[in-house]
Amino acid sequence: MQTLLTTVSTLPEIILIEIRFHGRGGQGAVTASRVLAIAAFLEGHHSQSIPMYGTERRGAPVTAFVRIGEKSRMIRSLVHEPDYVVVLDPLLRNTVNITEGLKPGGTIIINSASPPEEIEFTSEYKVATVDATKVALETIGRPITNTAILGAFAKGTGEVKLESLIEAVKTEMSGRMADTNIKAVEKAYNSTIVGKNRVVKELKKVALPPANSRADWRTFRPIVDPAKCTGCQICWTFCPEHSINMMERKSTIDYIYCKGCGVCAEECPTKAITMVMESEKKEG
Amino acid sequence: MVGNKAVAYGAKLARVQVISAYPITPQTTIVQYLAEFIANGEMKAHFIEVESELSAMVAVQGASFAGARVFTATSGPGLFFMHHPMMEGADLPVVMGVVHRSNKSMQPDHTDLMAQRDNGWIQLYCENNQEALDTALMSYKIAEDPRLSTPTVFGIDGYILSYTAEPVEVPDQEMVDEWLPPLKAPWAPDIHLPVQEWKKRQGRMYGSQKAWLEHDTKFRSSLGVIREVNAGFEKTFGRSYGNGLIEEHNCEGADAVITAMGTIASTARVVVDDLRSEGKNVGLIKLKCYRPFPVDEIRGLAKKYHAIGVIDRNISLGGGGNVLNETRSAIYDIAERPKVLGFHTGMSGDEVTPQMIRRIAEKTLKSVSEPVPTAVEWVGGA
Repeated sequence: MQTLLTTVSTLPEIILIEIRFHGRGGQGAVTASRVLAIAAFLEGHHSQSIPMYGTERRGAPVTAFVRIGEKSRMIRSLVHEPDYVVVLDPLLRNTVNITEGLKPGGTIIINSASPPEEIEFTSEYKVATVDATKVALETIGRPITNTAILGAFAKGTGEVKLESLIEAVKTEMSGRMADTNIKAVEKAYNSTIVGKNRVVKELKKVALPPANSRADWRTFRPIVDPAKCTGCQICWTFCPEHSINMMERKSTIDYIYCKGCGVCAEECPTKAITMVMESEKKEG
Repeated sequence: MVGNKAVAYGAKLARVQVISAYPITPQTTIVQYLAEFIANGEMKAHFIEVESELSAMVAVQGASFAGARVFTATSGPGLFFMHHPMMEGADLPVVMGVVHRSNKSMQPDHTDLMAQRDNGWIQLYCENNQEALDTALMSYKIAEDPRLSTPTVFGIDGYILSYTAEPVEVPDQEMVDEWLPPLKAPWAPDIHLPVQEWKKRQGRMYGSQKAWLEHDTKFRSSLGVIREVNAGFEKTFGRSYGNGLIEEHNCEGADAVITAMGTIASTARVVVDDLRSEGKNVGLIKLKCYRPFPVDEIRGLAKKYHAIGVIDRNISLGGGGNVLNETRSAIYDIAERPKVLGFHTGMSGDEVTPQMIRRIAEKTLKSVSEPVPTAVEWVGGA
């Protein structure tokens, strides 16, 4: 922390930058906003991390904001015209207008397996992509993309140093959790691709599942092996979304409402349910 | 750290001895942090679990009566539930943190705390997390002042501060200990004293009409104590909040001022700075203390500025904005009164943007030179 503070004079002056995070409950958008705010503080700036709480739960779209800059410019409203937008989930842009209010020529940091040139928006932005889900699974072992996407933010914007992010992760986490998350930050930083998006007249219409569907919340989908299923109904009892039906004494998953939380696979006594990565099953 | 953590640190640094509270969003995490401090040995205090806010208040009042330094916290509806004991314990130095929550949503407005304005509790409002921590400490110094011994409550805007993380400087425990010595409670029951004799010594304000007058006079005298404590806090910790009651921001040479409380003041600072750089002569008054109402300070403003735009994030249904009414009442006797315009904004926690404050400030400034509609205006809100 001390060494970081001494380098302040060499850093560019920041009067005010505003960042909006889009994620899903459970991906850690709020933690991401806090870690970034701390990293900025370690570099000598004032900062705010503002979570937006509503009826959040695992899988539902969530928003958080960060303001970095001089203390005298810290207003208290939400961020409506961000300089940067950070997107923790690859499918979120199908249902949420992630570029709303983004300043012209602003930067979008997005979790995607595709390079920036393949991502389409109706106007031109600077885009940095990283396959944060893959990075998170390789380092943390779970699809929690918050720290990985921050690595991409550091690379894609240059507003915060990689070292400051690592220090900030250490203040928020400890032990093995800190170690794996630091690996995620570094790995994402090194695998981020910075470029520009493809400008299109109109965004390609994505066939959306019916309203109230949780299909696009999933990173993993549960697959039932009927040979192993004994019909004990334990998964049916535990499913928080009531999306398991018992058909002919075998559990059947309703993929419209399943949000992919994996509770069923965890609880199944005969290990008849396995969680399979969504992208291996369908295009996304 | 988030606002709720700053409040919890305030109580911890004050070496609170008894805590009792009942969980309610958005206050809950304050007592969660305190329970953690106690559980991991960082803090030595009794945590009394209760089944309601009413019991929480009665529990801490009982502990305060026995001579302990106490803390409780609540929000909106929980605060309404505390009304009866708050009215009764008017001479116990209980300190409470309120995380504002509207009665029409879970988001903040100040109506919850202002509904307790007639209780004889000192009310202080905070605009950032540093101020929340500092005000918690100052509240003990004010409440426990031997001249007063008066309950004190401080508020932070729910969500906007309670869950927003920002840098906060935590003072050294040693410095706090020196500045805020342990509570001396001459009223605490003495087992060697006959009950009747002890009762006589209490001098509790109870009885006829005279008791109300005595109480009001004593309560009003707390304004001076708050100013003293604020000045003393600056001497020790290097931070202060205006004169403890109000703060004038960028007001030199201003023709008009707007007044704001809580987090609206932060946004208003930026707006006023921008307006001044555009050559528009408007300043900001941050009202920190609402009870007792700083009448002298408000009269002072009335003599300096030609118009005051009062922002109320509260309402007395059927009566209007509380701050507006009290401001107008305070300056009525001044011959050359400024114009006083009223605004409601941020009610029910609706977002207050810089554009809304700008509109309020510009209308107030305009009223100096030309007639503007005098009806109270509701700015923003869906």
